[in-house]
Amino acid sequence: MFRYLMLAGLALFLPGLCALGYSLYEGPSAWMLDSRTFWGTPISLFVFWVGLAHAGTLLSAVFLALDIKLDRRTALIAELSTLASLVFAGIFPLMHLGYLQNFYMVAPFLDARGNFANVSSPLVWDFCCIAVYAILSLLFFVMHLKARVNPALDKYRKPMAWLLFPLVLWVHTVVSLDFATTFVPEWRGAFFPVYFIAGAIFSGIALVNLLLCTEGYRVRLLERLQLICSWILCAIWFWDFLLKGTFFASAFIFAGVLPQLRLVSVFRENRWGRAALSVSVLFGLFLERFYLVSPEYGTSSSFGWIDLGLVAFSVGGFMLLFFGVRRLLNRYAENAGAYFGEVDGSDMAKVEEAEDAERVAASGLGVEKSKKGFYIQPWSSEEYRILRFPLLVGIAVALIFVVWAWGQLPFVNVELSLANVLPLVYPVMALATVMTLLARIYFVEKSFVLHRREKILGVAILILAGACAGTFFAGGASETSGASVDVAAFGENTNVDLAQSALVWNARCATCHGRDGKFNEKFVREYYPVPPKLDLPRLDSLGTDSLVKVVLNGRVNMSAYANRLTPAEAYGLVNYMRSLAARDSGEGAR
Amino acid sequence: MGMDRREFIKSCSLVAVMGLLYGCRKLPLDEVARLGDGPTLKQFEDEVKLAVSQAKKQLDLVKVSRPGPLSIPGASPLNRFGMAIDLDLCDGCGECILACNKENNVPLVPEDDAARGRFMHWVDMRSGAPFMCAHCGKAPCERVCPTGAANHTPDGLSAMVYKRCAGSRFCGANCPVQARKFNFNDAQKLGLARKFNKEVPLRDKGVMEKCSLCLHRLQNDRLKFKTQLSVAVAAAGNVSVKNAAENATEWRGRGVTTACSDACKRRAIIFGNWLDEKSPLVQLTKDRVLYAPREIADLDPSVVFMRGRR
Repeated sequence: MFRYLMLAGLALFLPGLCALGYSLYEGPSAWMLDSRTFWGTPISLFVFWVGLAHAGTLLSAVFLALDIKLDRRTALIAELSTLASLVFAGIFPLMHLGYLQNFYMVAPFLDARGNFANVSSPLVWDFCCIAVYAILSLLFFVMHLKARVNPALDKYRKPMAWLLFPLVLWVHTVVSLDFATTFVPEWRGAFFPVYFIAGAIFSGIALVNLLLCTEGYRVRLLERLQLICSWILCAIWFWDFLLKGTFFASAFIFAGVLPQLRLVSVFRENRWGRAALSVSVLFGLFLERFYLVSPEYGTSSSFGWIDLGLVAFSVGGFMLLFFGVRRLLNRYAENAGAYFGEVDGSDMAKVEEAEDAERVAASGLGVEKSKKGFYIQPWSSEEYRILRFPLLVGIAVALIFVVWAWGQLPFVNVELSLANVLPLVYPVMALATVMTLLARIYFVEKSFVLHRREKILGVAILILAGACAGTFFAGGASETSGASVDVAAFGENTNVDLAQSALVWNARCATCHGRDGKFNEKFVREYYPVPPKLDLPRLDSLGTDSLVKVVLNGRVNMSAYANRLTPAEAYGLVNYMRSLAARDSGEGAR
Repeated sequence: MGMDRREFIKSCSLVAVMGLLYGCRKLPLDEVARLGDGPTLKQFEDEVKLAVSQAKKQLDLVKVSRPGPLSIPGASPLNRFGMAIDLDLCDGCGECILACNKENNVPLVPEDDAARGRFMHWVDMRSGAPFMCAHCGKAPCERVCPTGAANHTPDGLSAMVYKRCAGSRFCGANCPVQARKFNFNDAQKLGLARKFNKEVPLRDKGVMEKCSLCLHRLQNDRLKFKTQLSVAVAAAGNVSVKNAAENATEWRGRGVTTACSDACKRRAIIFGNWLDEKSPLVQLTKDRVLYAPREIADLDPSVVFMRGRR
């Protein structure tokens, strides 16, 4: 079964890969665009896959946090589907960029020139939230797998679930803000976060239901939830229609009307019927995202081969990835049946009971477990005690980061309010908290031992992450410094002779300024406006002292050299520059 | 070997000539090749005519008040550059579009893009009048740019740092009047770009661009002004001359014009400094009613329209 699904995925994936390659080569004009659609298919696919990526965390973490019973197999499937969807949710925003090489400028890190991302842009929030969400979802999934072997870890899952619960909502709120903060009339509305979250949960549940159909069993709770979600979304669509008059008929039919067939028992009881309902929901929701992102669809543009290819790429790639990992786990994990298992549902109760007993034994929460329904743990509970310290660390890190980011601007003229930085608070906090939690597991839990292979993998990942962070974060190494070096104190220092200055000039300055003091045209032509020529009148008008100051402290395009040159050397360089300019003007006169 | 000395020297010199030719293939040969390939002026003129004939977008104008000083941090209290387009004078000839294309090296677009109306022109025709980026004081494009590539200069221009643009096109999606143009094609590779003006770089594929209010002209004038001023002060060297030149010690961008306003035969496009009483912009708009497109009327535009007398 999984093999055939994998092959079907491969059959979709390969032509899709060609489409992806072509659109990377050709750039954004490869897919459907018009005068009002600047984004098109990749961004609708991004919103779609991010929505699907909420299934796992919603079903697994939220249900775990709220004490709603969901057996381990379903939870694991949901978590795995999250990870597979996130891969595609990450690819599309990257591939849709016109200038892919510059993607790292979106990360809120300082680069060497001290340039910071514009934190008031929703894209920067997106980047952070989704990156953090991907990391935490992966850790949650791995911990779930580990907890099966080592019951001591089970008590850490719930604190993590409490962290992931708000993160799900946070991430999709931020995705909706990409649209809601703009001036496009179709995208405006304060209800957009709710709208996007409802859509995301709806599509996520539909995906899990579809995957359960391939597993060969069903969870009635999820089917009921899917039906309820369709009603909620219909209500929101109605609201949208009343406000702005936008209405997507085909999306409404596929995701609003057809799911109601679950009320008919013929569809409900048949596996294919259930699968068809879920597929219809997914299709309808994709159409909805597509119409939303391309407001002028149909009037001046139409869906092309590349757009279809991109859809095929993501659907096929998801199938390949999900069922591939699923098969791997089946084959290599010991006692695979207990993870997933091809069961018809008859022994579901047993698994659940066994799990329940295991969890109770492990965490000693027997008393609280006996209470039914939505019961939020009191502050004195086990999971809160585990979470308390990491949470404090997380809050501290988030506060420090936010205050730091608030002070960093891409350019001096940008106005940044604290509210612009707030969307970064929760992801940063959750990341720091989970890292502290993991450190606690590693150092406190005696039963938690890493295998040799896992240790190597962990160290490799840490080194890689450090290398990535180090590449992007250069900490403003050649930033124009605010605190200026006082030049007057040094006086006109001429103990550096011209020959020595020429050496320094050729080593340090010639790449941009040229060996002859004229600009290196190849490099400087990229500046706009073109920097002024440093000819003799201009050098005279600027004066030696101020030129030395520019060399040491930097200015506009010029980097600061205060910590790489002594003031004497700077004086020497200015003198040398003047001699170059004088030679040049002499030649001009002759 | 059957080769005499004459033959040997001949082949040696041939090899040397070939080597020399190979060595200079980059500069002169490339230039020659490019001259042949580059689009002709006629092509640019034809494209402008096509764009003018295809223009369908309409403007919905509402009254606005006169632009005042900017409120962004670091904004200059002396300069805020802008334009006013006189709708009573403009006859929609499209000369300004061609002048702008030549000044700013705006590339041509391939035929299928032209058929769809996707031109790179910084100046559009809307409702029979030129329309370009309004350099809004509260620019929505700058707010959403993730990398800070779109940002405001202290003199009130909404500027672009081409090298910092990641091509996310968020600014384009957030511009209520679609004044921003995206480089979908590699114009240099397709032979559609021509460098008329050495001072403006050709833009890469995947980068946003738009009207810059001829930023390079302003920059040149500022540098010229400052250089001359300090030379004059240094030459005179005494305080009285400094005081005499007091009213001219601040640069106000006087005498600078944009390419489109230069090209307008009926003088319908007026460039100037909104904060300078001596600027032609302020003087000519004194008794006129100012208008701006409804979508951006609240965003404090620097480029406005005028119609009728008060």
